[in-house]
Amino acid sequence: MAVAAGLGPEAEELVLLEKSLGLTKGNKYGVQGERKSPVLQINNGPSLTGLATIATHLVKQAKKEQLLGKTAEEKAVVQQWLEYRVTQIALPCTKEDTRVILKDLNLYLEDKVYLARNNFTLADILMYYGLHHIIIDLTVQEKEKYLNVSRWFNHIQHYPGIRQHLSSIIFMKNRLFTNA
Amino acid sequence: MRLYLSEGSPQGLKVLAAAGASGARVRLERVPPDGHVVPFLTHPRVPALHLDSGTFLFSPNAICQYFFLLAGKEHTDLTSQWLEWEATELQPAVSTALYGHVVQGKKGGEVLGAIRKTLAYIDQSLTSKTTPYLTGEAESVADIVLWATLFPVLQDEFCLPDELQALRSWFRIMNLLEPCRNAVESVLTPKGAEQFKAYLQKQPVSCLHSEKPATN
Repeated sequence: MAVAAGLGPEAEELVLLEKSLGLTKGNKYGVQGERKSPVLQINNGPSLTGLATIATHLVKQAKKEQLLGKTAEEKAVVQQWLEYRVTQIALPCTKEDTRVILKDLNLYLEDKVYLARNNFTLADILMYYGLHHIIIDLTVQEKEKYLNVSRWFNHIQHYPGIRQHLSSIIFMKNRLFTNA
Repeated sequence: MRLYLSEGSPQGLKVLAAAGASGARVRLERVPPDGHVVPFLTHPRVPALHLDSGTFLFSPNAICQYFFLLAGKEHTDLTSQWLEWEATELQPAVSTALYGHVVQGKKGGEVLGAIRKTLAYIDQSLTSKTTPYLTGEAESVADIVLWATLFPVLQDEFCLPDELQALRSWFRIMNLLEPCRNAVESVLTPKGAEQFKAYLQKQPVSCLHSEKPATN
């Protein structure tokens, strides 16, 4: 992903999110602190800080509230995965961290189409952007090992308007490894 | 719904206080700190909420938000922002401070030093507002979550320096709220912060030192 000078990768993700939501009047982002958290200045109002917070705000701005979950339960599930995204995946991950993230997600997605079960939400979009740099480095064998993550990721990257300039990742249709 | 809690988990305070403040009816299940409750997670995470639908919520902040949503209180940009800040900035700093205090035996000023920057941030936000709480005239999920994270290190407002006036009075008000008092009684014993020792010692060191302690 091309990172503009001074902008953190999280602000870049928000630019992708804006486009996928159909928001054409692009916002300008700043960054704050050691974590380079994105900051959005709202017209004459206070600024908003943080990837999940700004992403949630953009969804409301685009009037696509269904992406935040319809029921209280779904809303909480979406918030949970957004928090997981900013606390577990934003930090520099060790190989072991990455393994645990993929293993846990793989088990979680075993009986689900999306992170919020049957509904496509903001959690899927931000998790897709956040995992792209990890999935791109997986071997064919690893993609088979984390089969449910692969199926979900492939689904999201083909969702209209989400992938944009990010590279399309190839997943094999047929299993190559019997023990994966 | 069942709320799984373990002795000495600092995160237990916030979910109990949030349940109390929102009137959520939960069945408490006490499990050991390394109790494996959420089937899809490699590392045990407690507290966790098991909904009647079968869904597990493993993030304490999402559990607190869920309780408030059930009570008809939707989250706003401001509550989202505080919760995200708490998860990414305050929690790592407090974990480092608490670990230094309980496990390594560091004392007062040194412990506060690790969270000084985050305390000043909350104080500034409160000072610049005219409302007694973080997001308005009444306590919200943000107040409960921040209070509960700070409680194990601060306990009472007297250890806060005078210049953090707004934070002191907010923390005192929070300490007096009934759901907060009840949560403290339920989670803590007279051992105070020592309560958290067994739990903290089981945490991987990497997750406790992910944040450089503040130097000022």
